[in-house]
Amino acid sequence: MTTTNNSRSLVVIQLAGANDPLNTVVPYTDGHYYDFRPNVGIPTDQVIPIDGRFAFNPNMAPIKALWDEGKVAVVNGIGYPNPNRSHFRSMDIWHTCEPEKVATEGWLGRVIRDLDPQGQNVITGVNFGRGLPRSMGAPGVPVASVGNLETYGLFPDVEEERIRGLCLDAFGKMYGGTIQDAVMDYLGQTGRDALKGADILRTAPENYSSTVEYADNPIAQALKNAAQVMTADLGTRIYYTQHGSFDTHGDEVKVHGGLWNQVSGAVSDFMADLEEHGRADDAIVLIWTEFGRRIRDNGSGTDHGSGGTAFIIGNQVNGGFYGEYPSLAERDQLDGDLHFNNDFRSTYSTIADRWLGLDPAPIVNGQFEQWDFIRN
Amino acid sequence: MTTAVAAGPVEYIKTIGLTTNQSGRGFTNPYDCAFAPDGRILILNRCDTVRASLVRIGMMNWEEDYLGEFSRGYGRADGQWILPVAIAMDDQGVVYVTDEQQHRITALDTDGNFVRQWGEKGSGPGQMNGPAGLAMNAGETLYVVEQGNNRVQRFSTSGESLGMWGESGDGPGQFNMPWGVGLDSAGNVYVADWRNDRIQKFTGDGQFIAAYGASGDGQLSRPSGVCVDSDGYMYVSDWGNERVQILDPDGGFIQSLRGQATLSKWAQDFMSVNPDERNTREMSNLVPELPPHLDTPYLISSQTEPYFWGPVSVRLDSEDRLFVVESNRHRIQVYQRRKG
Amino acid sequence: MSNADIALMAHLMRRAGFGASRDELEQRVARGYENVVEDLVNPGSPNAMPDDVIRRYHVDMAEMRELNSAGAYWIYRMVTTDNPLEEKMALFWHSLFATGYSKLNQARALMNQIDTFRRHSMGSFHTMLVELSKDPAMIIWLDNNDNHKDDINENYGRELLELFSMGIGNYTEDDVKECARAFTGWTLGNAEYMATRASRDSIWPYSRIAWHFQYRDHDHDDGEKTFLGHTGNFNGEDIIDIIVQQEATARFVSTRLFQFFAADEVDAAGEAVIEQMMETYFASNYEIRSVLRTLFNSDYFKSEAARFARVKGPVELVVGAVRLAGTYQEPTFGADQLARYTLYMGQGIFQPPSVEGWHEGSEWIDSGALVERVNFVGKELGDPGNPGVKALIDRMSAGVKRPLSAEEQVDACADLLGPMELSSATRTSLSEFAGEQGEADLRAGSRTEADDQRIANLLRLLTATREYQLA
Repeated sequence: MTTTNNSRSLVVIQLAGANDPLNTVVPYTDGHYYDFRPNVGIPTDQVIPIDGRFAFNPNMAPIKALWDEGKVAVVNGIGYPNPNRSHFRSMDIWHTCEPEKVATEGWLGRVIRDLDPQGQNVITGVNFGRGLPRSMGAPGVPVASVGNLETYGLFPDVEEERIRGLCLDAFGKMYGGTIQDAVMDYLGQTGRDALKGADILRTAPENYSSTVEYADNPIAQALKNAAQVMTADLGTRIYYTQHGSFDTHGDEVKVHGGLWNQVSGAVSDFMADLEEHGRADDAIVLIWTEFGRRIRDNGSGTDHGSGGTAFIIGNQVNGGFYGEYPSLAERDQLDGDLHFNNDFRSTYSTIADRWLGLDPAPIVNGQFEQWDFIRN
Repeated sequence: MTTAVAAGPVEYIKTIGLTTNQSGRGFTNPYDCAFAPDGRILILNRCDTVRASLVRIGMMNWEEDYLGEFSRGYGRADGQWILPVAIAMDDQGVVYVTDEQQHRITALDTDGNFVRQWGEKGSGPGQMNGPAGLAMNAGETLYVVEQGNNRVQRFSTSGESLGMWGESGDGPGQFNMPWGVGLDSAGNVYVADWRNDRIQKFTGDGQFIAAYGASGDGQLSRPSGVCVDSDGYMYVSDWGNERVQILDPDGGFIQSLRGQATLSKWAQDFMSVNPDERNTREMSNLVPELPPHLDTPYLISSQTEPYFWGPVSVRLDSEDRLFVVESNRHRIQVYQRRKG
Repeated sequence: MSNADIALMAHLMRRAGFGASRDELEQRVARGYENVVEDLVNPGSPNAMPDDVIRRYHVDMAEMRELNSAGAYWIYRMVTTDNPLEEKMALFWHSLFATGYSKLNQARALMNQIDTFRRHSMGSFHTMLVELSKDPAMIIWLDNNDNHKDDINENYGRELLELFSMGIGNYTEDDVKECARAFTGWTLGNAEYMATRASRDSIWPYSRIAWHFQYRDHDHDDGEKTFLGHTGNFNGEDIIDIIVQQEATARFVSTRLFQFFAADEVDAAGEAVIEQMMETYFASNYEIRSVLRTLFNSDYFKSEAARFARVKGPVELVVGAVRLAGTYQEPTFGADQLARYTLYMGQGIFQPPSVEGWHEGSEWIDSGALVERVNFVGKELGDPGNPGVKALIDRMSAGVKRPLSAEEQVDACADLLGPMELSSATRTSLSEFAGEQGEADLRAGSRTEADDQRIANLLRLLTATREYQLA
C-alpha cells in the first residue's frame, strides 16, 4: 500500500445506458466484427488505429492524443460473473460491489468514509448531477449533489438577491440554536452542514479562471465544475458525474459517436485545464459503464450484452491495454455476448489501494487481483 | 346519403414499427401518420418529457425500409414541438403539425426545413387552445380540432383563419374535449368528440349532419380518431375501449377490431439477434386468460401484446388501407376492408 | 371551534392524510373527531384526477413504461384524492412490502401492486398476505418464479415471515423451508419470457407487457409439511392461515402501523397502545380498519406526546406541499419531476433501497436531502401565484384592520401552515426576517403584489424550519 496522499483525487464518469465496447475500441482487422456488424460497424477507413488489431472510434481523437502520451489505460473484457443485462440491477452491482443481493452501501461512500472518517469535510465527495448516485451512498457519509455550481445551495429560486441573503441568514440562525431534543439537534447539525457545504462550494467558480474553453454540453460543464472545485482546494477527493444515454438500441452510429465526441472532448479539456493549474498529477479519471452490448447488431443498433470496457486516464496512469480483448468468434461467445475476463472489483481495488492508499478489501467486498495501471 | 356498397369484412394485413428509445429506426409513442404521394409513410412521434429529444417525424415505406427522419427538435423555438398531436400533408409536400402545448401549427418540409408557423393561446380567430386533430381537404384547407375551445377551426395552408364552429356542451354541434378529425370524399367533416363518446358529422362549413355513438356498453368510449373510406365507411379509434369500430355510411355497426399484431420486419430483426427472448416468447401465450381484477380494456391491453393499446389515430392511405396508430405499443397495425 | 380542536384535527390529517387547509380542517372539526376517523377508514369515491385525462395528456403515464411516470401518476392521485388515508395506507404497504423497480423493469406491474394494496388497504390482513403472495411484481422481486417443486427458492418464503408478518426470532429455518415449499407453483403468466425480459430490461418489440398471477399445479409441491407446529399438505393460503393467528404477527403489524402513524419511537405509553391494537387485530378477525380506528381514537394518539413526533417522509412532504399550494390539480407539464424530487430527498417511489424498505425517522434527513426538501417546498409555497398560497393569503387578509407587524405575520403564517409549534428562537429569527422585509398591508384596497410576495417569502422560510420537517 502506498502512503496516503491527501492531494490525490478521483473523478468518476459513468456512461449511463451501457456503452458498446466494440464500437469504442474497434477490432478493425477482425473479420468477425464486420460480419456481426453489417449495419452499425465502423468502416476500416474511418477508425483511429491504435495498433494492428484495435482502433478508437472516429470520435475519440482527443482520447487518442492522450493515449499517445501514455496517459490512457483501457481495461478490456471487464465485468463480473453471471452478468446481469438489466440497467438498474447491473448498475447497482457496480455501485455496491455486491453481485448476489440487493445492497445499499456504495463503494465510493465507503471510500469517502475511509478518506474522512470523522466527516470533517462535508464536501469530500461531490456529485455533479441531481440526486445521489448509489456509488456514493453510505450511512452518515455527507455528499453534496450539485446540479449547477453557480446556483447551488438553499433557496436557489428566490430571484431577489437581497431576499435570498435574508433567507440564508435566517436559516443559519434557525438551525443554530440548541434545542433539548435529539431529533431537533440532529436537524440543526444537518442544516448547518448543508449551509457550510454550499458556502464553501460557491466560492469555487469565483476564484477560477482558465484559458480552456469547455464545450456547451452536460459532461463538459460537469467536468468544468469539477475543475473549479479541484483548483479551489476545498478538500474534495471524489468527484462523480454521468453522461448518456449510451443505450443505443437504435441509430447507434450517430448517437454513440456523438456521445463519445462529447466525452472525449470534455476529458481532454479537463486534463488540459488541470495541466494549466498544475494539478494534472493529482487526479485520475475512471470511466465505466454497467455492461456491454450484443456482438451482432439488430439492424440499427445493439441490444444489451455483457463484457465492457473501462478507462483510467491521467498523468499518473500507465497507459496501455489491460485485460484481454474478448474473442468475437461464435464459439467463444456468451449467449451472443462478449465474455468478461476480469472483475470490475480488480480495477476498483487498484484505484483504492494504489491511488488513494486505502485498504481495498472492505471497500470492494473482497480480495481481487490488482492491475499495474497506476505509476509508482 | 352515400350509395351503400356491401360491407365486406375488414382483414388484418400486417404490423409495422418497433419501439425504440433512440432516434432513427423505430417509433416512440407514435401519435399519427400521413402518406406522401411518393409512397413514403410519415410517422409523428409525440414522446414525453422523459424522452423529449426523440420528438420527430420518421419516414418509411410499405416495404418497411427506414427512410430517415426530420424535425426541428423539442422546444419553443420556431418549428419546434413540445406536445405534437397530429400531422397532415399538403400537395406541395409540406407537413403540418399541431402542438397542443404551444397552441400552434408548424409547417416543415420533409427535409426538416422550417416553412411557417402560426397560432397562440386564445379563443379569437386564428388563435387556438389545445389544437389536437388535424385534417387536410383537397390539399389546401386545414381543419383543426381545438380541445380547449371545443371547436373546429378552418385554416388556409398559409395560416389564415377561414371560420370556425362549435362550443362546449353535449348537444348537436357542441363538443367536450374533442380530439381527432377525418374527412370523406365529399368534404364532410367527422369529429371524434372525445369526452362525449361520439362522432359528429358536419358539412365542410360546419352544418351539423349527424352524431354516432353514445356512452355505454357496446358504444364508444373516448373516441380519439375517425377516418372515412371511399365508400363512406367510418373507422373509429375507440380509444377508451382499446379497439377500432367500423360503421357503415349511416352509422350502423359493422365490425369491431380488438387488434392482432404480429412481428413487423423490424421486430423480426430484433428477435433474430436476441435468441433468449425469441425462444421464451415462442413458449408463451400472448393472449392469456387474466385474473378478474384486470378487467378494464386498458389493463387487458397492457397484458395482451397483440391487442390495440392506446389507438390514438386511424388513417387511410390512397388504397384504403387502414393504419391504426398505437401510442403505447409503438407500432401501426394495418387492415383493409374486403369489398363486396 | 377551539384552537385545540383545530390543532388536533390538523394532527390527525397530517398523519392519516397529507395535511389539510384551514377550510378543510374547520369542516372536519364541525363533523367531529370520531366521525372523521370513520370517514377516513371507510373511504368513498376518491374523486381524484380522471384517468382518461391523465392518459390523454401524458403519453408516458398511458404507456407506464418509465419509473418516474408511474411515480408521478401515483402522486397525482395522492394530490387530488378525497380519501387521503387510502393513499397513505397504500404508501404504508409499499414501505412495508418494499418492492423495487431495479429488478423488475416493470412500472405497470408496480402500479398494479399499489392498486392491490389500495383495494385491500384497510381490509383483512389475511387477504392482504394472500394477494401479496399472488402479486407478480413481488413474485419476480423475491424470486418465487424460481421456486419449483423440485428446486425450492426460499427467498419469498423467508421474507414473508421475517419482513412481512412475524419478524425474526419467531420461526425456525425449517419453517422457512416448509413455507417456501407451500408457495411452489405460485408464479406469473409466461414466467420464462417475462423473467427474461425483466432481466434484460427489454422494451422490445412493442414495449412492456404487464404481468398477472398464474398458479402452476404441476409445479406445486403437494407433499406434507410441518409449519409452526401444524402439519398438513399445506398450500400457500394454509400457511397464511397459520401466520395471521400468531401473536408475533399481531405485534408486528400493530407496531409498524404505530410507527408509521403515531411516533417514530415507541415509548412505554406507546407500547400500551400497541397492546390495544393487537387485541383489536384478533377481535376483528385481522381487520386493519379496526386496528387503525383503535390507534386514531386512542388517548395517546390524541395527546401532546404524539404531536410532531415523526419526521415527515419525502413523499408525505412533497404531496403535502403540493396539496397546500393547490398546484398539479390537472395534468401539468413536467409532472414526472415530482417523482424525481422524492428520489432526490431519499424516497424514490418504487425504489426502496432494499426489500427492508426505507430507513425512516431522522434517517430521512441528511444535508443533501434537507436542501432538496427546503428548496422544493419553498418553491411551492413561496409563489403567491399558486392557488393554494393565494387562498391562504386571502384568508389571512380577511378582516385585517391595519398592516401586520412582523410578529403578527409570523404567527398568522405559522397558524395557517399547521398550526405549527415554533420554538421561541425560530420565531425570533422569522420575526427578524419579516421585520427586514417590512410590514405587509393586506387590507382590501391597499394590498399589493408586493405584500403577497412578502407573505409568500415568509411561508417559504417557515417551511424551511426544523419544525416543518416534523409531522
